[in-house]
This record gives sequence, structure tokens and C-alpha cells, in this order.
Amino acid sequence: MSNFEKVIAPKLETVSVALTPPATVRLAGTITSKDPSQDLAAFMRSVHQAAIADSLPQLTVDVSALTFVNSSAIRLFVDWATWVKDSTQRYKLRFVTSRKITWQKTSFMALTSLAKDVLIIDPVD
Amino acid sequence: MVSLEKPVVNDRTPPSGSDPKQPLVFMRFRPAWAYIDGIREFARFFCQTTFGTQELADRACVVVQETLENAVKYSNSDPQSELELVIRAEGETIEFSVSSLPDPAHMDALREELNGLHTLDPEQAYLAAFMRASNEPNASARLGLARIRYEGGVELALKDEPGGRIRITASGRL
Repeated sequence: MSNFEKVIAPKLETVSVALTPPATVRLAGTITSKDPSQDLAAFMRSVHQAAIADSLPQLTVDVSALTFVNSSAIRLFVDWATWVKDSTQRYKLRFVTSRKITWQKTSFMALTSLAKDVLIIDPVD
Repeated sequence: MVSLEKPVVNDRTPPSGSDPKQPLVFMRFRPAWAYIDGIREFARFFCQTTFGTQELADRACVVVQETLENAVKYSNSDPQSELELVIRAEGETIEFSVSSLPDPAHMDALREELNGLHTLDPEQAYLAAFMRASNEPNASARLGLARIRYEGGVELALKDEPGGRIRITASGRL
């Protein structure tokens, strides 16, 4: 069993989190809690560490059904991109986004400017 | 035959009286986090239904979410600390404003952040906020105000009001 498969997805009220081996995470719903890092930061860190331990070349995070988030949740994606950028053992972090969801267009454009070398933004309809 | 299209009110007449200065929406409520989701979704529905554009509805969501989050986070515990949300439209401009009674300890930081934002165009300011968040992983996000300007397509203004209250106004094109 890979390290990725050992990561446990949190069960949250407004957002569903699912892991699909070998390397896909799907987030769907909304994230607008006061401190979303309490619910999701440790999980994202675990996925990041598993990707490194498994020497994954690429990890896909599908947010195309994540319809709305607050800026504290956007911060979680900034942190994740920064972990990969600053890691000695890098992998490509690929975000599958929706062209129909406004926050994704603006925020993932900004995120790309932060870590061009490690991010892939893959918009779908 | 039943139409499946969503109705668009497309009527910008203020709901009470004929005074054009009257807001389209006026809400007053306790500064509780639990209200924010519902009020944001009301703003989405209201803008979609009144003006008929998804783009404006999405922008309204960002403006309302982030301004209310800031207001709730920094409100003091005074019984008079209720929030007011006002939505106005005049000509080709829409305006969202939130009045609150903040803890004075946060005011200097808020003024400084708004002043800093206005030295950059909205896109540059949003990119700079991402860069700051990346460089300061243990500090608070502080992406909200920059996000309102860029994603919400509005400019922000801060005004002092009587009794220690402040009003943050976000104005942009309809």
C-alpha cells in the first residue's frame, strides 16, 4: 500500500474530500469556515508528505466542483504550492479547475505566478 | 406552457418610497459567523435576480463574504456592535457597504492595509498578497481585501461614523 493510500480524508460538513489512487484528491462543495486550516491543513500536509514519500511525479487536486471558498481557504492552496516549491524533492502539483467558477479563474492565476515551476492549472468546462 | 427560465426582476426602484438614495437592500444583524453563508447566498440570488448577470452575482458573493468576515472577526463585544449591510445601485454603479463597530485595536492595521492596497492596481495587489502569504506562512492570510478589489471588481473606501463605527464601501460597475 502506498503512502498516498494510507492518507485518511477528513469528513467535513460543507466540503467533500476524496482520494483516488494513485494520486488524485477531489474537493467539492464550499469552504467558508472561520479557520479552515483546522479542518484541512493537516490533511493537505499529509497528502504532500505522502506524495514525496511515494516519489510521485505529479499529484492532481481536482477543485472543479469546489464552488466557493473564502480567502482563508485560498491560503491553504498558497501554503501547499509553497511546500512543493520549497521542497528538495519536488512533484508537479496539478489543479483541475472549472472555467465556470469565478474564484478559481482569479485565484489560480495568482497562484501560478507564485510557483510557475511546480504548478499545472488544467481548466475544464 | 410553463417557462423554465428564472425570472429577472430588472427593477432598480428602491423598495421603500421613491427616494433614489434609498438602498435596494438594508440588513442589520448581530456579528455572528453563522449568518455569513446565508447572507452571501442571498446577495448572489438578489444580484442574479435583479440584474440578471451571473458575473455580478459571483462578484457580489466575494465582496459580501470577505467584508462580512472582516467585520465579524474584528467587531467588539458591545451590544451596539450590530452590522449593517447596504446594497445600492445608481446609474452603472453598484455599491456594497458594511458598517460595524470594530475593536479599536484593529483599526490602525486596517487603515494601513487599505492604504497599502491603493498603491497598487487590483491585480498587482492580489499577486503581492499571495507573495506575502507565501513568504509568511505563520502569519494571518490577509488576502481578503485584495481579493475583494480584484475578484469583486470594486474599489474600497473606509469612512468613520459616529459612535466609533466604521463603514467599508465597495463600489464597482454594474
